[in-house]
Amino acid sequence: MKARILVVDDDEALAEMIGIVLRNDGFDPVFCADGGQALDVFRSSRPDLVLLDLMLPGSDGIEVCRQIRGESDVPIVMLTAKSDTSDVVRGLESGADDYVPKPFKPAELVARVRARLRPGEQKAPETLRIADVTIDVAGHMVTRGGERISLTPLEFDLLVALARKPWQVFTRELLLEQVWGYRHAADTRLVNVHVQRLRSKIERDPEAPEVVLTVRGVGYKAGS
Amino acid sequence: MQSPGSHKQGGTRMTDARRLMLLGRIWTRRALILGLRVWRLVVTALRHLRPGLRYLWKSLLRRWRRSLEFRTVMMTIVLSVVSFAVVGAYLSNQIANNLFQERLTQAESESRYYVKQVQDTFDGAQVNDQSSVITLVYDTLNAVEGNGSVIQRRYVFEALPEQNKPRNRWVESRASDQLTVRVIPSELRKAVQESGKEQYWASTEFPVGNQDHPGIAVGNKVTFNGTVYELYLLYDLENAQQTLDQIQNVLWAGGAALIIMIGGIAWYVTRNVVSPVSHAAVVSEKLAAGQLQERMVVKGEDEVARLGASFNHMAASLQEQITQLATLSQMQQRFVSDVSHELRTPLTTVRMAAEVLFDARENFDPINRRSAELLYNQVERFQSLLSDLLEISRFDAGAAVLEAEPQDIFQVIGQVIEGAAPVAEEYGSELRLTSRNKSIIVEMDSRRIDRILRNLVLNAVEHGEGKPVHISVAANHEAVAVTVRDHGIGMTPAEAARVFDRFWRADPARARTTGGSGLGLSIAAEDTKLHNGWLQAWGQKGAGSNFRLTLPLKKGGTIVKSPLHLEPHDLRLPGTAADRHVLLVDPQESPADDGGASTAAGSPESDASEGPDAREAGEAGRA
Repeated sequence: MKARILVVDDDEALAEMIGIVLRNDGFDPVFCADGGQALDVFRSSRPDLVLLDLMLPGSDGIEVCRQIRGESDVPIVMLTAKSDTSDVVRGLESGADDYVPKPFKPAELVARVRARLRPGEQKAPETLRIADVTIDVAGHMVTRGGERISLTPLEFDLLVALARKPWQVFTRELLLEQVWGYRHAADTRLVNVHVQRLRSKIERDPEAPEVVLTVRGVGYKAGS
Repeated sequence: MQSPGSHKQGGTRMTDARRLMLLGRIWTRRALILGLRVWRLVVTALRHLRPGLRYLWKSLLRRWRRSLEFRTVMMTIVLSVVSFAVVGAYLSNQIANNLFQERLTQAESESRYYVKQVQDTFDGAQVNDQSSVITLVYDTLNAVEGNGSVIQRRYVFEALPEQNKPRNRWVESRASDQLTVRVIPSELRKAVQESGKEQYWASTEFPVGNQDHPGIAVGNKVTFNGTVYELYLLYDLENAQQTLDQIQNVLWAGGAALIIMIGGIAWYVTRNVVSPVSHAAVVSEKLAAGQLQERMVVKGEDEVARLGASFNHMAASLQEQITQLATLSQMQQRFVSDVSHELRTPLTTVRMAAEVLFDARENFDPINRRSAELLYNQVERFQSLLSDLLEISRFDAGAAVLEAEPQDIFQVIGQVIEGAAPVAEEYGSELRLTSRNKSIIVEMDSRRIDRILRNLVLNAVEHGEGKPVHISVAANHEAVAVTVRDHGIGMTPAEAARVFDRFWRADPARARTTGGSGLGLSIAAEDTKLHNGWLQAWGQKGAGSNFRLTLPLKKGGTIVKSPLHLEPHDLRLPGTAADRHVLLVDPQESPADDGGASTAAGSPESDASEGPDAREAGEAGRA
């Protein structure tokens, strides 16, 4: 089955070009040019991934991102012309999993899409623990003290990657490779923002983390 | 002096004298010891008190320097003390003079009258026997004394010395109670003795009761029975002195009170004048610190109010200017951001289309294929130029933010080397990393440092003519340095000073083949500046070039000395440096550092430091 991808972009030429590239690579693109209608189109088309332009007429891309994230864990990749830190961080904080800065190459875009669409490889029944957090890998479920915590697939992958090797310190680059699927060095802000978001969900006190620990000057590791 | 009869007593006197001498010596010794002890006590006390006194002195000096109020009050007090001393001295002198003159005139006229009376009495006396002469003289003189009357006089009656003594001279001298002729100043006596009939006067002191009183002595000559006598009438000035003392006391008290009051007034007035000034100082300090909304309080219409009003006016226009600048900067940032978005979206479409065409070029005829290739390559170039331009304009707009985090610099270097490896392979260069350290944690924006180092390494590979590129890393306690050394075509010191200029190219002919935006090193310089670091270049024609990046270990730290030399050490060794590692310089061993004087890219000194660099390179060339 072809993966359906919702392209939310007001620039028709770009949307069409993205459509050509995606179709060429065997995806099924759906388009929406207006941020105000993005949520309706999202609901009706039920895509496997959303490509979202940050600057949209009607409603801000960040707002759209928040609305979609509000009702779904579907992967969101932002298209951004602004590579200013604050914009990228704002986009990531509103729930996007990854971003592709304009101008991008077709291959880059497709790689990002594929990385986020990675079919959840058949996971063996496996239960991991970090601190007081229990992770059911096959069941895609995270609990703390019997209470279920809702994580996006990306956050889940990040947590699992750390929990599988609690003895290892992960550099941001390693996490980018393992969790996001970047083969070359990319922007480590992705990791920072997602670690913050993950912490805000699973830590009792995000200021004093116990589950995802920072190793100064190196990266992150799982707590014990 | 000793009479023979008293010989026997001489012995005892001698012993007395000896004992006295002995006693004297003992007492001298004791006094000496006592004096020494007192001296030591004073010295110790001074030594103990000295820090306190010095502190007091210093704090007074500090107040004097720092407080206009204190200075003004002190000056006022000192000046008023001086003027009061002058005025008081003059006043008291005047009063004393007037008092004295008045008494003197009175004394002189009285004396004249009484002396005449005495002389008349003596002249008309018909006495011959001793007792009646004595009685006459005494009675006359007692009458002069004027007991019981308001004005008290005293007299001294003395026969003029060195004259023939007649037989009937029974009275030699006579004086009031307690007085002798010794109270009369000798000058006065001399004047009276040598003169004819004139009257003389002099100030003197004479005993009254058990204290000395000041007074005036008026001297005359009188003749009695052929004997010339000196007659001195003495007038007591004690009352006048007391009046004067009282007046002086009043002057002292009044002066002190006035000085205290003047001090108070000076303090009050200065305070009134200075407090707006110090208020203005406080407000302008706040303004300077960036609190642009600070204003002075304006009351009334006086000079201070005018100062306040104009100060506020100045602050307002300053605030306006700064706000305007800030708005402009914001507008610039907004513009850059908008241009970025507006340009990037169509560029993305073009780029994707170009790539689709490029991927399908095998199916085109040669003309279209070449066109597709050109389109693809130039779109790539356009894109890198645009992103560099936008990056530079972000720096110019002050929109670049440093996101420093502690990170191992070797991690970043590793990535850079990994990323540059394919290019290096293409050029046939080898990338070699040398360092004594295994890990150096630096507070840095790794994205920017990555960009700087990537730029330096790729530049070195491009200009390295296939020879190895050496990357050296070293740290001292405050900074870390990375040098990227190539052994390629090199550059002249003058070129080295300009490499960080925008769009500057060493060889304009090479520009087209090598590509690049010409902004890479300018961006690197800006990134370094953001880190408060140094980015410097060294070059020599034919000997390659060396770029050194020095970063403070802590964010916002300052660098005094770079851990690595900018001028490569391998240059001093004979032979080609092609396959020799760059010698690492230990900061402790390095005899001198060139850090401060070299081209600090991105900083205003970069042009000025062309000199030292050029000289260095020249010396190296001779060696």
